[in-house]
Amino acid sequence: MREKENMAEEKKMVIKVVGLKKSFHVGIQDIPVLYGINLEITEGEFVLLVGPSGCGKSTLLHSIYGLENPTEGTVFIEEEDIWSRTKDWRAHFRNHFIGFIPQQPFWIKSLTVIENIAIPGVIAGRTFDESIVIAAKLIELVGMGKWADHRPFDLSGGQQQRIALARSLLLDPKFLIADEPTGNLDFRSGEELMTLVRNISQQFKITILMVTHNTDQYKFGSRIVNMVDGQITSDIINKQSLSKLEEMGEVKKTGETKIVA
Amino acid sequence: MSFFSHQKKNEIARTQKVRTRFSHMRISSVLFIGYRNMFANRMRSILTIGGVAIGIGVITLLISLGFGVQEMVIHEVTKNNPSDIIDITNKSLESFVLLDKNTLERIRGIDGIEQVEIRSSIGGKLFQGDSQTDVVINAVSRHYLDLARSDVSQTLREKIFTEPEGILITPKLANLLGFENPSESIGKTIEYSAVVTDDMLADVEDVPEETPKNEHENMVTIVGIINDQTKDDAVYAYISIEEIRERYGGVTGQFAKARVKNESSIESVRLQIEQTAFVTESVIDTIADINSFFLIVRSILIVFGVIIMSISAMGMLNTLSISLLQRTKEVGILKALGTKRTDIFKIFIFEAFLISFLGGIIGLVFGYGAARGVNYLMNIFAIRYGVVASSFVEVPTAFVISIVIFIFFLGLITGIFPAMRASKIHALEALRYE
Repeated sequence: MREKENMAEEKKMVIKVVGLKKSFHVGIQDIPVLYGINLEITEGEFVLLVGPSGCGKSTLLHSIYGLENPTEGTVFIEEEDIWSRTKDWRAHFRNHFIGFIPQQPFWIKSLTVIENIAIPGVIAGRTFDESIVIAAKLIELVGMGKWADHRPFDLSGGQQQRIALARSLLLDPKFLIADEPTGNLDFRSGEELMTLVRNISQQFKITILMVTHNTDQYKFGSRIVNMVDGQITSDIINKQSLSKLEEMGEVKKTGETKIVA
Repeated sequence: MSFFSHQKKNEIARTQKVRTRFSHMRISSVLFIGYRNMFANRMRSILTIGGVAIGIGVITLLISLGFGVQEMVIHEVTKNNPSDIIDITNKSLESFVLLDKNTLERIRGIDGIEQVEIRSSIGGKLFQGDSQTDVVINAVSRHYLDLARSDVSQTLREKIFTEPEGILITPKLANLLGFENPSESIGKTIEYSAVVTDDMLADVEDVPEETPKNEHENMVTIVGIINDQTKDDAVYAYISIEEIRERYGGVTGQFAKARVKNESSIESVRLQIEQTAFVTESVIDTIADINSFFLIVRSILIVFGVIIMSISAMGMLNTLSISLLQRTKEVGILKALGTKRTDIFKIFIFEAFLISFLGGIIGLVFGYGAARGVNYLMNIFAIRYGVVASSFVEVPTAFVISIVIFIFFLGLITGIFPAMRASKIHALEALRYE
């Protein structure tokens, strides 16, 4: 176990948020949302970004994902300052290197489930046929194979989020960014999805940054970053969770995970 | 796992190599999404494409009939009036100039003229048994019919000259003479008289020396039936002018037809003929009249077409705008997943092109089909009423090309604004949009 921790410490830094400030312009007022966030995430971590509603979690997440332009500061991903680049560069970067699971499932309504999963490949310039070959493997991975030819909106919330997970993995991303993917799910579906995300992240060595405010899910994260009013108030390693990495089944069963600083 | 790792390596390598050249969606994928979206909103798509198809179809129908009828009319007009022929007539009865020997020589002397043939239309009567009929007797020179009536066969045209005292009559005239079936009249000998006054006589080239025969001995044989091209009930006859001259003396021509050596010199030849106090007509004048008439018809059709297409275009714009509103979230997720602005633009503009081109092609095909259908129905009626069936559907290549250009611009103009708006949508705004 100790070895594992050491390994984690040695792992290279993949996300580095430096002095990130963001304020929204409303009328004649500037309303600050993020007050100089500094955050470093290393390879293989499963970081849960937690905090009360309106504390700026999603804004931070979107800034890291390259959608929300920070007022000050920047984000480095693998030493690449993403906010010094063009919009198209960021679009390309998101497409090829980051998987994204939004809070609510968003779909191309006219396409089937498997075609929707294939979308990142299509955006990257591949044909639908080529992308569907990969999508077919991923849909099996998330256990939704029999729904391939349905319309996404015919599925339940939990099923849709599994599909969204499959879609986020299509181009084999290095990072996965998820904005409260279990926010609209019942407990059971939420647990199932979290287990799936965690298993996949381990299997494919994907670094995960996820926003949640469901305390039941803290057990899944290897690190819990707590935000209040646009600032990080605590940043803790979830040791218990780390020790249970290989025993996810048990964690799920007992639900006894404690947060240890 | 190895599959994904391998794929990822390739991806990184590719991105590092071409940092500034980003991959874009394939046109085939863009079209596929457009097609699926149209299919998902079937009724709306059918109505919009139908609107464009009806617009283009009506224009195609009207224009193809317009051009077709114009072609047919010109063809019919020029069939018996080749464009190298000039009609020579008198200006008015007050200053009537006879086409006597001198006048004809003068006309023949004009540079560029190849041949001049004359006709004299004389009022007269035909007698058959107890029945008699008033008739216009057209006394014509040897090759007049060659220039005037190419619809009549060569043998028939020559019969009045090759057979002694032959006459050609119209079917109606045969009926009036008592022959129920006009062909029964062929070979029958009938009597005729013509009203030839002194002022119709002048110095002609081949005045017969013998004195005119007794009026009642004017016997002719019907050698053929000639249909009139415009009227079924026309009553006239053709006879050789020599025959008339033998009986009535030097009857001159009142009308002439001249053939020019070179079609391009026709205008200068006409000018010279007109200097000899005659008026000239050429089929070129008629064609010009026909063309200017059809130009007006087409202009009216174009106005109709513009109105119809404006309605279709507004329908299309409406559909595309609604489509964009309904798909704001789709645009949002596409952008969030890394779709570039130009690709979003392409998705919407290509959907507009899909609608306009599908509508346009369906419209062209159905418009042409409808025109052919109208042609077919008209021909059924034509045949029933004894008129020769003809084709009056004409789709000029230039029209097809302009329709293709038009539907391209229709797609572009109706698609460009929704596409621009879509490409400017911010991913987060779209994702927050409820």
